[in-house]
Amino acid sequence: MTTFWLTFYILIWPALSALVLFVIVRGFFRDMLAAKRAGRDMV
Amino acid sequence: MASPYYQFTTTTTLLLLLVFYGGTFLMSLLVRQKNENVDGYMVSSGQVGFGISAASMTATWIWAASFYAAASSAYTYGLSGAIHYGFWGALMILFIYPFGQRFRKLAPNAHTLGELMHARHGSSSQLILALSNVLGSSISLMVNFTAAGAVVSILSPLSFVHGVVIAGIGTLAYTFWSGFRASILTDVAQLIALMGVAVIIIPWVMFSAGGPEVMAQGLERLTAEQADFFSTTAILEQGAPFFVAVLAYAIGNQTIAQRLFAVRQDLIKPTFLTATLGYGAVVIGLGMIGLMALLLGVQPDGGDLNNIIPQMASAYLPPFMIGLFFLLVVASLSSTADADLTALSAIMMTDVYAKNIAKGRADPRKMLLIGRLTMIVATMVGLILASFALDILVMLVFVGALWGTVVFPVIASCYWPRVTNSAFTWAVLGGMLLFTIVRFELLPMTGVIGLGFEMIAAVGAGVVAGLMCFGFFGRIAGLAAGLIATMVSAWYFAGFLNGYTVLLASLVAYGASTIICVALSLMSQEHFDFNLIAQRVQRFQEEDAQPAGNGPVAVPQPSPAE
Repeated sequence: MTTFWLTFYILIWPALSALVLFVIVRGFFRDMLAAKRAGRDMV
Repeated sequence: MASPYYQFTTTTTLLLLLVFYGGTFLMSLLVRQKNENVDGYMVSSGQVGFGISAASMTATWIWAASFYAAASSAYTYGLSGAIHYGFWGALMILFIYPFGQRFRKLAPNAHTLGELMHARHGSSSQLILALSNVLGSSISLMVNFTAAGAVVSILSPLSFVHGVVIAGIGTLAYTFWSGFRASILTDVAQLIALMGVAVIIIPWVMFSAGGPEVMAQGLERLTAEQADFFSTTAILEQGAPFFVAVLAYAIGNQTIAQRLFAVRQDLIKPTFLTATLGYGAVVIGLGMIGLMALLLGVQPDGGDLNNIIPQMASAYLPPFMIGLFFLLVVASLSSTADADLTALSAIMMTDVYAKNIAKGRADPRKMLLIGRLTMIVATMVGLILASFALDILVMLVFVGALWGTVVFPVIASCYWPRVTNSAFTWAVLGGMLLFTIVRFELLPMTGVIGLGFEMIAAVGAGVVAGLMCFGFFGRIAGLAAGLIATMVSAWYFAGFLNGYTVLLASLVAYGASTIICVALSLMSQEHFDFNLIAQRVQRFQEEDAQPAGNGPVAVPQPSPAE
């Protein structure tokens, strides 16, 4: 395994985590706005 | 000899814990209601949005043991080690969603999976599921509180018991009043902390330890097996047993079922897809710290592989980042512990009280009281088990087997109208018996006996492959995959699998329960009408129906006999 691929292999996971975190946080704020507009609780 | 761990002062440790548990408690106050709705206490509104559901599912599935074990696996098996922990765990979240959609369609108002089985079969199959979850969630509570004790005792002057007690009381405090609603809301903050910290510390450790060049030089330290991305040893000793175990864990688990019944029905798929990616990325990523330790030649303190992550954090992170790492561990264990508390309370409220004691005349106020008392008792049990560091290996083995034996009967009961209550019950009991014989080597696994068990295990492997294909591609594909996997496994396992007792026993649990369930179902004349389940599984309390002075209004519950 070359240096490039080893680095890629180790760092791809935090990059993916960041992407998923972004999607979830965006989803959370959308849930919050939708609940506010509908005048109901989020949970 | 100097300690390999960074040490916080007592004040800093207490402040960190106060910030975490104080913050989550304050957050739980945002959703607190004076008169909690009993259905909301167990599954919220059943209309929870994508963001909260995905966050909650991911946070619940990631517990402290996840990344400790992923790092241990990477340290032991090399390049593929973390994958053989994190990938299979993630795949199981994906595997559940088609079945989750079916559970939800059959019983849109359910609170527990046991409740669905009660409507389908009656009490015995329901109570089997309830028992497996009570044992499983109690163990999970103990493991998470133990992880709190371990991290506190390693990184601070406080003792193990201090950590256990603070985590127990802290988790109970924010979950007690609003139950599941508090659990899923606080999961959002816990997941942001957990993932945010993971995103930062993985590259930080790598560059702080010397960067890519140093890591690449460390490849020379790996054995041939560790350097092989397709290592057979890693597959047979780590990947396959974990894959089989986690499949069982996923299907029968109430913490997951509860989230399935809470999320808006059309959002089940995106929620579980996101949680699959999130779990895989975080757990495999933190597992990379174990790989880096191997590449750097780090020796685990005291030979205990669980020490690798705290050791690496202490060696390569600045104090502020170690504080964030500390919060990561506390967030991951607390999010799972609060899910276990709410799962246990829902089981006692629904499966024990409403379905088997009140029998259709459940009083919502009494249910809430039972739920809250359950949380207190469960926390105390978790604290006692963790504080005394009791040996629970045997209990753990049996719970794993119990979950393995329920996988096929639960799924078959939701699709095949001929499955009966006795087929379900005898399948579980028979599977448990044969599992025990193999796991504890009560018979010599050689000759004809060994071959017989290997053939049952081949059926078990076929069941795993068949169910996975069935969930995504339908009945024909599932049957074909199951048959092919059984035949290939039978050829491969003969005279070979008896050398891998754990894997053999796990697969026997699946195979035996399936064979018994299918045989007894084929002998029955039952043709169950699945529409009855939705009629039998109802909410317990009318929405917003609390006339002054009269208390909450209970919804009459039809029983399976009606």
